[in-house]
Amino acid sequence: MDSALTEISEFIQAIPPMDLLPSHILEQVVKEISICYVRRGESLPPKGVIDENLYILRKGALSYVSADDELLGRYGEGEICTVFCFNNDDNIKVTTDEDTLLYSINYHNFHQLVGEFSDVMAFFQHTSEQRLNKKMLQVNEDAILNASLLNSSIANFYHSPVVTIAPDASIQQAAILMTEKGFSCLVIANHKQPLGIVTDKDIRRRCVAQGLAIDQPVSTIMTDNMATIDLKSTAYDALMMMTQKHIHHLPVTSNRQLKGMVTVTDLMNNEGQNAVNITSVIHKAKSVSELTDISQMIPKLQIRMAKLGTTADHVGKSISAITMAFTIRLIEMAEKLLGPPPVPYAWLAAGSQARQEQFAHSDQDNALIISNDMQPQHSYWFKDLATFVSDGLAACGFIYCPGDVMATNPKWCQTQDVWAQYFAKWINTPEPKALMHCSIFFDLTTVYGESSLLEQVQTNMLKTTQRSTLFIAHLSRNALNLRPPLGFFRDFVLIQDGENKATLDLKHNGIAPIVDLARIYALSEGIASVNTIERLQQAAGTPSLTKASAANLIDAYEFLSMLRMMHQANKLQQGKQPNNYLSPKEISKLEREHLKDAFKVIKTMQDSRQSTY
Amino acid sequence: MFNHHPLTRWLLGYEAQRKRMLKKAPEGPLRDFLRVPFPALYTPFDQIPILAVDFETTGLDAVQDKLLSVGCVDLCHNQIKLGSSYHQIINTKGRLKADNVTIHQITDDQKDQGQPLAEVIEQLLKRLAGKVMLVHFARIERQFLRQACLELYGMAPPLPIIDTLVVAKKRLDKRDVAYDPSQLRLSALRATYQLPDHYAHNALNDAIATAELLLAQVNDRADNVALQQLIL
Repeated sequence: MDSALTEISEFIQAIPPMDLLPSHILEQVVKEISICYVRRGESLPPKGVIDENLYILRKGALSYVSADDELLGRYGEGEICTVFCFNNDDNIKVTTDEDTLLYSINYHNFHQLVGEFSDVMAFFQHTSEQRLNKKMLQVNEDAILNASLLNSSIANFYHSPVVTIAPDASIQQAAILMTEKGFSCLVIANHKQPLGIVTDKDIRRRCVAQGLAIDQPVSTIMTDNMATIDLKSTAYDALMMMTQKHIHHLPVTSNRQLKGMVTVTDLMNNEGQNAVNITSVIHKAKSVSELTDISQMIPKLQIRMAKLGTTADHVGKSISAITMAFTIRLIEMAEKLLGPPPVPYAWLAAGSQARQEQFAHSDQDNALIISNDMQPQHSYWFKDLATFVSDGLAACGFIYCPGDVMATNPKWCQTQDVWAQYFAKWINTPEPKALMHCSIFFDLTTVYGESSLLEQVQTNMLKTTQRSTLFIAHLSRNALNLRPPLGFFRDFVLIQDGENKATLDLKHNGIAPIVDLARIYALSEGIASVNTIERLQQAAGTPSLTKASAANLIDAYEFLSMLRMMHQANKLQQGKQPNNYLSPKEISKLEREHLKDAFKVIKTMQDSRQSTY
Repeated sequence: MFNHHPLTRWLLGYEAQRKRMLKKAPEGPLRDFLRVPFPALYTPFDQIPILAVDFETTGLDAVQDKLLSVGCVDLCHNQIKLGSSYHQIINTKGRLKADNVTIHQITDDQKDQGQPLAEVIEQLLKRLAGKVMLVHFARIERQFLRQACLELYGMAPPLPIIDTLVVAKKRLDKRDVAYDPSQLRLSALRATYQLPDHYAHNALNDAIATAELLLAQVNDRADNVALQQLIL
């Protein structure tokens, strides 16, 4: 091609989605260009242009505003304005912020040239929400291709058939059957209906050590009320259940019928250096220093998962599972040191760990809920426990919470009644500032101990929040303090100065606002889940959130989290401290487009929240 | 200064010259060119059919030096139509001087594969018929085109011309402040209008760059200027 047009076509080719076009098509597209010059402050389309056109900005800047004059965004150099590709039904107005040189292309002609390239056409035919959704579908597909533990269904793992034995068979018969088959456990079942499980350990502890006759029915030593997992669950769910209940075998059921068995070894065989592997090593650790060594693997795991194409949701869940395993192991060590707890209690995780959205090097946010039977003298035991565990976590790289949301803080080491009062106070007489600090406690989960303690408080809390519009209003106001960095010059508002100059704060400007919105939807609809995606999924279709908006928010959330995960993986790989500050230069032009789309989704939802309250 | 009177210019101007020359011109590209009327002086800017033109040459003397390449593009209705762009290297006789090659970047090999001067001028006249020629620093294009026509057809046609250099110079002169002549270079003028850098010394590229500059110059004024205010 002529070198003049080469220069222009190189410019066009660098702009997504034009980069997907083969050069002979691009050459024809360039021939369709009319160059226009529009003075600052004038509106598009340029005088005398009546066709439906797309405009590529060669130089200058455009703003587009809604029919009621709200600034929707800006286009800068190398961006494509698609407002005039079709009938402009939304009456969006576009004006120039600077003297602007435009490459305009008749959309009809463009469509004829490019129509067969569906990836390219998708850009023009979809709204920003739709484009983002398409991107997320693709990311999720990649994750499935790289099938990891977290995407694998239990159905790919479990052993079948399971060796079962009738409840009236003797302990000896059970032991013989286990020896024959080489299994360390048996399921006790009555006509395929699982009743319980018996393991090597049960025979040792409940029979031989107790001097129980071996002709007794096996049902006397079985663990009834056993945990089972549904066939439709993921391997990740199995891992969580095993970690939480501290078990290595999990019967798999479908419609309460026994289908098979999944063991921790099955999970480990599926992946090498993975979350299961690490959690299993954690369980075997004998000392805090051993745990510290193991914690070195977490950043590596995060890098590996990010590079494998695992979604941020899954990385968050894996890291959260590992933190949980660390915490449980530390509590076990503490209990060994301090003796058994004086009264029932539960160790709680708050914030990102509770939401299962934790990344390497997060803060520890934790608390203790203690039975109402607690006496004043018991407080020393709990103080020692809290100190031991939080020091241990700090040694493993989970830094102390800067806001002192930790079990070591007496304020957050309280009985069930006090916690119930806390929640009642926050909800009934909300103070905006107090709420900002304690909204973290609306994302709470039991890591260890008596889970009913928290469940009771949460059930009551959710009943109240649903009715308390004042509380929801205050929470909403707080949530709206963090706004996406959109709407100023050329779309992104970058951090102005300091160490993180010219970057975007992905956490505070992108992820946190969605987490906040999801919490508000959950609390106003009485949804018990704390994980952001689960909250959005469950709130979808309720009066608080339409299904379409939920889907858009989930896409935006996944995309932002993925960017953060990739950014952190790169930092970790360079041996640097991971952070949330992304330089727009780090990402491709197309990703920048998606990032803007994600911010637009957040802004839309925040605006609708604002108009509600 | 009497030839600035509209009526005098009309009588002696390019349209009158065109009609007179049409009677004498031999059949062929030149006559075809002369058959199409030029736009009237009162034509508002957005209605003027314009062809932005640039030549690369071996030097500044139209008689001794040679035309190396021609680039042109249409500008009308405030739009530069890239689909109309034309760029052609001319197969001139003789070898190129090394110091020149570094400017225009046309090598002997490329030149040898070019088209003969007669064909390129025919193409250019076909595109230029009925239009105003737009150039930056008119002397080169006017003299080389005149010279080529004299050689090919024995006469040189009238050429209504807009010169972006002159447009800029008139404005600077009006302001009555001293300025450096280098401010009148194409790239310098483009920079004052925040137009992007362009790859200079390619005939088509410079033609497009000149057309963009004119758009910026004309749009800088609030009123819609007419051809009369722009023409050389």
